[in-house]
Amino acid sequence: MLLDIIQTGLDGVMVGSLYAMVALGITLVFGLVGILNFAHGQSVMLGAYVCFFLVSAGHSFWVGAIVATLAMGVFGALLERAVFRRTLGDPFAGLAVSLGLIMIIENVAAAALTPDPRFMDAPVSGNFAVGPLLLSSQRSLVFVISSALILGFWLFLQYSTLGKAIRAMSQSRQGAALVGVRVDTVSRSIFAVGSALAGAAGALYASLFAVTPFMGAAPLTKGFILAALGGLGSVPGAIAAGFLLGLAESFGSRYLSASFRDGYGFIILIFALLFLPTGLFGAGKARV
Amino acid sequence: MSGMRWKGLVAGVLTFALAGSAALGQTAGVVKLGYVGSLTGPHSGWDVPALEGMQMAVTEINGAGGFKVGGKAYRIEIVQEDAQSKPDAAATAAQKLLSDEDIHVVMGVLTSVPGVPVATQMAKAKVMYIGGFTAMDGIVGKPGNELSFRALDTDDTVAKGFVPVVVKELGLKKVGILVPNDDVSKTFVKAYQPLFSQAGVEVSMVEFFQPGTTDFAPVLRKFQGKGLDGMFIGYADPDAEAIIRQSLEVGDLPKKFVYRGGSGAPAVKYADKIDGFVWQILTRDLASSSDEKVKAWIDRYKAATKKDIVANTYWALTFYDAVFMLGKAMDAAGTTTDQAAIAAKLKGMVYDGVRRMSFDKDGHAVTDVDIGIIKGGKTYSIPEKVL
Repeated sequence: MLLDIIQTGLDGVMVGSLYAMVALGITLVFGLVGILNFAHGQSVMLGAYVCFFLVSAGHSFWVGAIVATLAMGVFGALLERAVFRRTLGDPFAGLAVSLGLIMIIENVAAAALTPDPRFMDAPVSGNFAVGPLLLSSQRSLVFVISSALILGFWLFLQYSTLGKAIRAMSQSRQGAALVGVRVDTVSRSIFAVGSALAGAAGALYASLFAVTPFMGAAPLTKGFILAALGGLGSVPGAIAAGFLLGLAESFGSRYLSASFRDGYGFIILIFALLFLPTGLFGAGKARV
Repeated sequence: MSGMRWKGLVAGVLTFALAGSAALGQTAGVVKLGYVGSLTGPHSGWDVPALEGMQMAVTEINGAGGFKVGGKAYRIEIVQEDAQSKPDAAATAAQKLLSDEDIHVVMGVLTSVPGVPVATQMAKAKVMYIGGFTAMDGIVGKPGNELSFRALDTDDTVAKGFVPVVVKELGLKKVGILVPNDDVSKTFVKAYQPLFSQAGVEVSMVEFFQPGTTDFAPVLRKFQGKGLDGMFIGYADPDAEAIIRQSLEVGDLPKKFVYRGGSGAPAVKYADKIDGFVWQILTRDLASSSDEKVKAWIDRYKAATKKDIVANTYWALTFYDAVFMLGKAMDAAGTTTDQAAIAAKLKGMVYDGVRRMSFDKDGHAVTDVDIGIIKGGKTYSIPEKVL
């Protein structure tokens, strides 16, 4: 029984690290720019396709994942420049635009790539034993990569110049501008970094699950639950919430019912909103 | 011009017009055939091939001079609407077809979510409807649905021949069932579970997962350590492939899969890693058939669509033969508009087309199907005689 609990917990942590990566991008953009970017899930989907096509063309998964991350970073920067910059200060306009983008990107992808699900060859397959535990090789790899990316992102925020500028902007956009932070550049960087993380998450999703034009919906929904659960704008909150959701889904599916899998996240969210309305760490306002 | 000459001219024109209309009467009439299906969205993988098959049948019938009713030739014209893989769009699409008073028969929809509102509206409007989705099994034959038909066999019909073949081919003794939590699954689990027991196979656990699930690892853990030698899974290709792939990832799970689905595609990539995969081909096996009728149809399909045969192509046979049957039923009924009379002739008719098919007294299809098998790295099919 204990072994089973540990195994289930590891499953939850592995998939939770992916959820955390998606939630990071959402919470970052909202916390700093005030826009709920619903099109974030589309960056996950497009990143997954970029990786899938590169791997299918004979490139390694690593090339696919890196190109997907960079391509989505550029995509995010372009979106900020062409669309979201014009909606700054008007969250509802930003929301409406991002909803429109979902429809456009999703349907263009379905028309161009067909809605058929595609499965990519993972760089590693099968499983390996750690004592009595049997671990999936690819899931373990995904966990290591996503944890490294999350850690790297946190270090970037704490110690890099741009990271410090982002943190300054999160406290006060006007104050940051007054002390010389180029808020336009930082805003674009936030979109680029958030979208790049989504692209990386997409590549990792593609190594585990089916790639379809409609795959962005699930990570997006979960990402928003997590962003709200962690406290909108809170990076540590989003990370913790990602792992919490992964664990809740894993234990819920294993010991309760797999037919209610997505419900567990919402139950946690409802309890969090009732008892921790400012997020897991009491963020209250943007905190990176 | 004198009055006499005017009268003569008018008489001449009228005579010519009457003669012309009589001559037109001898040329082909037109029967409008409605098609509703998901031509866009995630369900288009089923309904686009289904429409292609229907278009092929229509092209072939029209190319041969149409079909005859009471000695008069009729050609078929398809009026198509997109259900967009959504129930609300499907309802709107059905309404559009129903607003055309010249459409007396509608075909289409292979998936239940958009299919149910279509079937419901057709039944309310008392328009003959031939669908393909599984939930139709709960609609066809019920009061008020006398004009509803399903062009694919029911689970009860298929399962009776399928389960013994599966048990024999895979040598099963103990299986677990893992299917989506929906009405379709609950219906077919009821059909299959007793048949496995009758075949001497213990069904030790049944688990339903949330439709749309991508991560199966936690629920697959429930099947570990149960001594299973097979998994019965359903019913969509992405779910089936994800379950196979993740079973191999998670480990300590059976490597024989019985698929209540219509394609071998989910297992193809894993053929050398699994011990067996058996699926239902509800029309005909297009990948490895030795049947000359099937081979000829494949050639015609490629020529008509400029497409190669892929995993989903066999859905193109869902309505292909049904279109020919419809023409024969109209001829036998002596009408292209009296739907009750046409339906009565369609029920009980046996048609030996690419599929050998029939409709029972309620409107359920009873057709021969093929059973696809991947075993030992080889792919082959076994015909299942139902008729």
